[in-house]
Amino acid sequence: MMGALVALMIKDIKQLLRDPRSLLMVLLMPPAVMAMFVSGYGEERSEVPIIVVNLDEGAISWQLIELLRSSGSFKIVAYAPTMEAGIDLVRRGEAYAALIIPEGFSESVMKGYSTKIVTVLDAAYAMISELVWQAAVIMVQVFMKTASEMYGTFYIEVVRQTVYGPEVRSVDSFTSTILGVLLHLVPMSLIAVSISRERERKTFEQLIMAPVSGWQIVMGKFIAYALVTITDMVAVFGFAVYVLGVRVSGPPTVLILVSILLLLCSLSLGLLISAISRNQLQAYQAAIFFFIPSMLFSGFFMPVELLSPSTRAFGRVLPLYHFLRAFRNVQLRGWGFRDIVPECLSLLFETLIFLAAAIRLLKLRVD
Amino acid sequence: MLAIEAVNLVKVFGSFKAVDGVTLKVEEGVIFGLLGPNGAGKSTTIRMILGLLKPTSGSIKVFGIDVEDDRSSVLKITGYMPQHFSLYEDLTVEENMRLYASLYGLNGRETEERILELLDEFMLKEFKGRLAGKLSGGMKQRLSLAVALLHRPRLLIVDEPTAGVDPPLRRYFWEKFRELKKRGVTILVTTHYMDEAENCDRIALMSKGKVAAEGSPLEIKRLAYGGDIIEMVVAGNPREVLKETAAKVLDFEENGSYSRVRLLVPDASEYLIPLTRELEAYNVKVVRAYPVSLSLEEAFIRLTTGDGVSS
Ligand SMILES: Nc1ncnc2c1ncn2[C@@H]1O[C@H](COP(=O)(O)OP(=O)(O)OP(=O)(O)O)[C@@H](O)[C@H]1O
Ligand SMILES: [Mg+2]
Repeated sequence: MMGALVALMIKDIKQLLRDPRSLLMVLLMPPAVMAMFVSGYGEERSEVPIIVVNLDEGAISWQLIELLRSSGSFKIVAYAPTMEAGIDLVRRGEAYAALIIPEGFSESVMKGYSTKIVTVLDAAYAMISELVWQAAVIMVQVFMKTASEMYGTFYIEVVRQTVYGPEVRSVDSFTSTILGVLLHLVPMSLIAVSISRERERKTFEQLIMAPVSGWQIVMGKFIAYALVTITDMVAVFGFAVYVLGVRVSGPPTVLILVSILLLLCSLSLGLLISAISRNQLQAYQAAIFFFIPSMLFSGFFMPVELLSPSTRAFGRVLPLYHFLRAFRNVQLRGWGFRDIVPECLSLLFETLIFLAAAIRLLKLRVD
Repeated sequence: MLAIEAVNLVKVFGSFKAVDGVTLKVEEGVIFGLLGPNGAGKSTTIRMILGLLKPTSGSIKVFGIDVEDDRSSVLKITGYMPQHFSLYEDLTVEENMRLYASLYGLNGRETEERILELLDEFMLKEFKGRLAGKLSGGMKQRLSLAVALLHRPRLLIVDEPTAGVDPPLRRYFWEKFRELKKRGVTILVTTHYMDEAENCDRIALMSKGKVAAEGSPLEIKRLAYGGDIIEMVVAGNPREVLKETAAKVLDFEENGSYSRVRLLVPDASEYLIPLTRELEAYNVKVVRAYPVSLSLEEAFIRLTTGDGVSS
């Protein structure tokens, strides 16, 4: 039983290491996907969830809020009573920014004084923060123009603050993206062709003449590929942290754990593809084909919360979604293991589902 | 006991019937040859017997075990050498053997012994560290047969084992097959070499997905010609006399004061002497009389081309 499994696993490790094509793929896939990443960015934006903290007693602040609400750029998910409460909601990930309207705002406007609006941005999502910031500045300018007709000239300064600051370099926020590609697409497509390659090279015909079961074939490949790619993954991770100097707020061990879980999930999904594909080309295309929506809807470019409800539901079952959430929260917000247990369990659960499906669907026949 | 009992096998690929109602019964302990031109459906039939392909219809039992129900029991007692080399080209000779030894559940000592034995038997010792993909054609066939025999199967199914193999090695393979037969192993073999087919105890001749003829090599030849052929050299020209006998004249060639005739009879050994006597009774002097040995090749071609005797 176990003897056969171990023998199959060792065989797959040997084959993997002796196959220059698969090693090439590990090296070439990331740049190829990066190219896709750059050219594929062009989704329509929807409303960013924000928090409003209105400390003003007057009525004019509500005109500004109404303008923000109808702008199409923001969705006000909550009104917080104090600045601290507002910032806390951002910290907890309820919204990407808090807009704080100060005390005496209405009065300052009517008297023609200068006042300010504070935007507290979630720096963990650099791109969204930038979006909120720009939209806030524009909306405030629009407001100044229309309001000045009624109340005479006044000035509002938009002040920028960040939580998880001081600043997130783009390489920091890109780390999760690049690791997502490396840990999802690469292992998935690598293992997706594994069984169909055996079918094409006819070795499958001889293999299934030995008394092996489907689970031994599937698990043998799973363990072999996991061992080889985990090594690869740890190397990539080390490179990111120690060579590129990527900032890591949370515990690195937790990041490695999340990464390994995504890797295992990707391998199991790849095996499922492999079990049902007829040839290598088909398997490879299926892997890429699956990766595209994964990339679009998992929070890769844009938070899942900003998608339409049906795509959002789809996005939330994607392995990459759980990974990106967990990874970013640990890396950029400094969350610990306890905070990302749900994501880890989801990844584990999906891994088991994919493996079970692969074993179930693998046909020990040659037609 | 029947080693293989395949009843009414049909395999349809799309709209093409590759195997069309094949029934094969292979007795335990025989060498059974499956012959037929390219595309006749031999490999497809074999794959169905081994449970590698699901038959469109029909049933298969190997040593009484239904392949559909309990394939794993069948696999433990069956060795298979596919038509195309199907071992791992990126593993060495020894690695391939060790892998399959583990898959067949051989324990440590058995593995060592068996591998040593087979490396020796198939002259692979000096190549054991070579990648299988780098072996020559004949070496690959040797390795492939060795792996098929690792677990000492009771039934050995070999699909064109001698394709691309040089004559000494072909002979060696057949010696092995006879040796295995002596040890009680049943062998199902396909081949395009008719001299090899002569070594089979029984032959099934396939053509266009059907069994065109089945029997011992001798029976197959009789079927192809409608009987045995006897050649005689007789004095004079007894053409008219011959018409009175049970034999059918196939060929008549007058040569001076003698004639050479080819006669078709149901069974040469039974008819040769009575026929000679009968002719002498008619005062025809028989100078020589002997059964003609027919080639299986000729029979094969007769049975599989044109409209022959096949149906
Ligand atoms: N998987 C398949 N899909 C479609 N057609 C197939 C498949 N396998 C075999 N065939 C067809 O079935 C027919 C019989 O093929 P098969 O391989 O059984 O012939 P064969 O008797 O073994 O021939 P050869 O002597 O050339 O090996 C051929 O026409 C072949 O093209
Ligand atoms: Mg064939």
